[in-house]
Amino acid sequence: MLDIFDQLRKEIEEAVIDTKEAVEDFRVSYLGRKNGRLKALSEKMRDIDVADRPVFGKNINALKDLVNNRLDQAQQLLRSSGSKKGKTIDLTLPGRKPDLGSLHPLTQTAEEIQGIFTAYGFTIAEGPEIEDDWHNFTSLNFPEDHPARDMQDTFFLREKSVDIDAAVLRTHTSPVQIRVMKSSQPPIRVIAPGRVYRNETITFKSYCVFHQVEGLYVDEGVSLADLKQILHMFARAMFGEDVKTRFRPSFFPFTEPSAEFDVWMPNKDLPAGGRWLEILGCGMVDPNVLEAVGIDSERYTGYAFGMGVERIAMLRYGIKDLRIFYENDVRFLEQF
Amino acid sequence: MNLSYNWLKDYVDHQLQPEELSDLLTMSGLEVEGVEVIGNSMEGVVVGHVLSVSRHPNADRLSCCVVDVAGEEPLPIVCGAPNVAAGQRVPVATVGTRLMLPGRENPDEKVEVKIKKSKIRGEESRGMICAEDELGLSDNHDGIMVLDGEAKIGQAFSSYLEERSLSFQDHVIDVSITPNRPDAISHIGASRDVAAIVNTPLLYPEVDVPNSGGDAQSLIDVEIEAPEACRRYAAMVVQGITVKESPAWLKQRLTAIGLRPRNNMVDITNYVMYECGQPLHAFDYDQIAGKKIIVRFNKGGEKFTTLDSKERELPDNTLMICDGDRPVALAGIMGGENSEVTDQTVNVLIESAYFDPSTIRKTAKALSLQTDASYRFERGVDSNGQVWAAARAAALMAELGGGTIVSGVQDEHPSPITPPVVAVRHKRIETIVGRKIDAEEVVRLLSSIGFKVEDKGGSYTCAVPSFRPDVEREIDVIEEVARLSGYHNIPEPAHTVVPSLTPRVNPELVLRRQVKTLLLGLGFRETYTNSMLRKEVAETFNVPVLTGGEGDVVETLKPISQEMAALRPSLLPGLLSVIGYNQNRGQRSLRLMEFGKVFQAGMDSNAFVPGYKEHTSLILCMCGPLEQVHWSSSVKSVTFHDLKGVVEALLQNLCGDAVEMKPVYDETPVTAYHLALEVKGTPVGVIAAVSESQQKAYSLRDPVYVAELNWGALLPHLKSPISIMFSEFSRFPVVERDLAIQIDQSQAVGDLMQDMERAGGKLLKHIHVFDVYEGEQVETGKKSIAFGLRFGAGRTLKDKEVDRSVESIVKSLNKNFGAELRK
Repeated sequence: MLDIFDQLRKEIEEAVIDTKEAVEDFRVSYLGRKNGRLKALSEKMRDIDVADRPVFGKNINALKDLVNNRLDQAQQLLRSSGSKKGKTIDLTLPGRKPDLGSLHPLTQTAEEIQGIFTAYGFTIAEGPEIEDDWHNFTSLNFPEDHPARDMQDTFFLREKSVDIDAAVLRTHTSPVQIRVMKSSQPPIRVIAPGRVYRNETITFKSYCVFHQVEGLYVDEGVSLADLKQILHMFARAMFGEDVKTRFRPSFFPFTEPSAEFDVWMPNKDLPAGGRWLEILGCGMVDPNVLEAVGIDSERYTGYAFGMGVERIAMLRYGIKDLRIFYENDVRFLEQF
Repeated sequence: MNLSYNWLKDYVDHQLQPEELSDLLTMSGLEVEGVEVIGNSMEGVVVGHVLSVSRHPNADRLSCCVVDVAGEEPLPIVCGAPNVAAGQRVPVATVGTRLMLPGRENPDEKVEVKIKKSKIRGEESRGMICAEDELGLSDNHDGIMVLDGEAKIGQAFSSYLEERSLSFQDHVIDVSITPNRPDAISHIGASRDVAAIVNTPLLYPEVDVPNSGGDAQSLIDVEIEAPEACRRYAAMVVQGITVKESPAWLKQRLTAIGLRPRNNMVDITNYVMYECGQPLHAFDYDQIAGKKIIVRFNKGGEKFTTLDSKERELPDNTLMICDGDRPVALAGIMGGENSEVTDQTVNVLIESAYFDPSTIRKTAKALSLQTDASYRFERGVDSNGQVWAAARAAALMAELGGGTIVSGVQDEHPSPITPPVVAVRHKRIETIVGRKIDAEEVVRLLSSIGFKVEDKGGSYTCAVPSFRPDVEREIDVIEEVARLSGYHNIPEPAHTVVPSLTPRVNPELVLRRQVKTLLLGLGFRETYTNSMLRKEVAETFNVPVLTGGEGDVVETLKPISQEMAALRPSLLPGLLSVIGYNQNRGQRSLRLMEFGKVFQAGMDSNAFVPGYKEHTSLILCMCGPLEQVHWSSSVKSVTFHDLKGVVEALLQNLCGDAVEMKPVYDETPVTAYHLALEVKGTPVGVIAAVSESQQKAYSLRDPVYVAELNWGALLPHLKSPISIMFSEFSRFPVVERDLAIQIDQSQAVGDLMQDMERAGGKLLKHIHVFDVYEGEQVETGKKSIAFGLRFGAGRTLKDKEVDRSVESIVKSLNKNFGAELRK
């Protein structure tokens, strides 16, 4: 009996099946319902001893598997050599392409900015978007009733029963710096990315929400020169090695001296060949701010800077209207 | 604020071109936002003599003139001005001259025109007799400009103007003034910085500053009832003036900086304000009842008509200037109509005062009325500049209005401000700025902007000038040194010193990025939606099924638009808007995700600001076709289970099987049905089909499925990437069995699977459902479910053990659910 199986196995293994027709013949010859050789073999089962039947059945099944394996292989081979032996597969039909998603350009820009600063030893800190007046203004040296508060059109929140300081939607991520400084001592080297709010009319260049990345470094002996250096490094990383920058005096309540940082944006259409664009505000942390959070302003000095992610993204991608970031048109999103 | 380049030259001999000057201003902290050239170059414009004027034969309004410009021959010129007459000296733009002429449609927009030899209605014309506006000298277009008799025929018009100190071209420099620089809101103020940087003296106009008292004292009495709000009130009187049009030079200066000239008296007050920064007011002296000025707070609710003829209701505690009978001015903001200078005015009372910044600020804000005066008072004017400014104005009034200055000044000075004296350490300057700087340079720079500096060797005492109210501390003085010595001169160190802090990554940020990356690969696009929305919308979506907790909607105060009246309690309304927006633009297959803060009022022990809850939420939305149309298969629409699968995969990746999903078949206002996600009884999110009513409200075409996860609540249960440990897996083969059963149609399969897991014991590793069938092949009211079971262990399994496990599963399903095996 074993001989039959061995012989069949040999035949099956050696059969040449390299055309569509040969494959079909092979299939019919072994598995065919009427005259298949394995069918015939299993019919013989009745004739053999009951005790031998399990082994017999197992052998038949093994042969069946072998036939099926050969058929699969042969069919695959035929498919992959389709061009040679008649076109059973069209390789030029479009592939089955899964849809990929996309990250919002503001996420990508913020990550790029964060990446540059984390490479320089800054860690990322976050904080709440609803803040109290102290963290958003008072601790940051905004005097009560001062024109400086005009620079921030603030959303105040309708008070709900509790007697607390006026709650506001943070107008900048500086309160995160305050929270970090309150909870740790120098050296402090953090960046604070996040969403901020201004009660402003929506136009092509302003929106009621936007995103900032702010940076803070407080340590012994930190100077304006250090600030200028890190910002220049940032500009090179963001806008290219030969970027032209300008560091000029300005005013913010929480820094003294304060500065603004501009980059030169070449534009052939302008008579000057380009123009300066402000990309961030910065300065040395005002001693009043350090004292407000319990840091010795005689021993420590620090710098802080803050930039708008939208603004950088607009420069980076050549976007003219800020509102498009919040429209979420798929035709916009899929470009990034 | 606008500065005139020509005007600035009065105070500083800087020798800089306009562009260089703007760069210098910007680098000194007075940021120049733009420079505009006004006026014409006058090239080609000469003085002509009108020899004859005759009527144009073909046009009533035109005249044919013959004009001598000392050329080869007199020029024929057709002129449309009614005032042209023989004998006049006039400016003539000769052929070839380029002029910036007011546009036909919009006179404010200038268009360049080249003067050509032409025929106007048949008459030859070789030039143009010009009006002031055509030469860019003013907005006047009443007629051609008639020059004085001294003008030399043929003389270049530019030299005619120069001889009369009239400028014909100017650069208007638009400077943005930061709140710390009230001293710079004037031409002298800006010049002070320029003079310090180019190291040249600041040139003050010569003014005869009167002493307190004199005849003025008998003409006007000043009573200050609110000394904390009005620190100083100086009054001078000029008598016998004539109110008339200002001379050209004055009008030109005011026009250049964007002010409209009115009459000589008002123009002078404006001129002096833009010169030195002190706002002035000119009263008609004869309208001041009782020769008396009283400065006091008025009660709210009163009505007062300002000189712009508007009746205004005064807010509480308005600081008013009153005469013996009535209010005559809103202190520091605007004068009253009842006492303003008119054509009939003969005697003028000049007010030059110091008003408290916050008082003026409050009133201006309450009235929504910001004026040039209030702008300056709010920021703080020179507390010692009142008498100088009054005297300067009085001198100009006497000069341009033909009056006489009453001697002396009524100078009420009840609470003088003493500017501080600040000690500054040289070393501290160098520490902050980060560069070496010479002591002499420090002294020179500070002195040149009005500080009285004493070098004490290693430190300085600096007496702050009265016009720098912002300077109080050492650091403020250091800033002055830093900006005047030039930020561009600060060297950048070659090395970066980084403190030796332990590098730490915030695991939450890593996880958030991981989720975004996974979703990105699953085809989700990230959106950024507004955190603010209409209050009604916020309230509709403020339901526990989405928010997981109770609490009111958080409202904003005085939002600019009702679209910003409340904070989102859920990301869903924002995303539904986005889906609607995109569906309307032909995008049907949408997979969107967003991470963002959501808000509710209420107490939360973790809240940063008591009374307000906020947490990060993650939303996923799917709708439309499941995939792109492809030749290999037909396209299916997204189903609830497609999104459920995404969430399952995501949660599997993040936290294994910590999350339980509880089915809820009841409708809510925003969901048709949903799975409530929980970890140990704490809600962490929802997977839902959006309710029909919201589908309608947002006009959505395809059913939308949404999952919103409370990222904050989920976070403690997530596997931090740094906590992952390898666990040994079984290397022995697994055994697969299929099992088809028949159960009641209403029976939830999830319950069966839980039962199977329990009954299958340790060997059962995995169950999947590969078929659900209802129809002819099964009994009515029943359905058939086919499960694939996988068994495994740390060894080779015996058939018998697997059989036993399958048997116990079948038995349990039959007992608990009446399930029968299908044959």
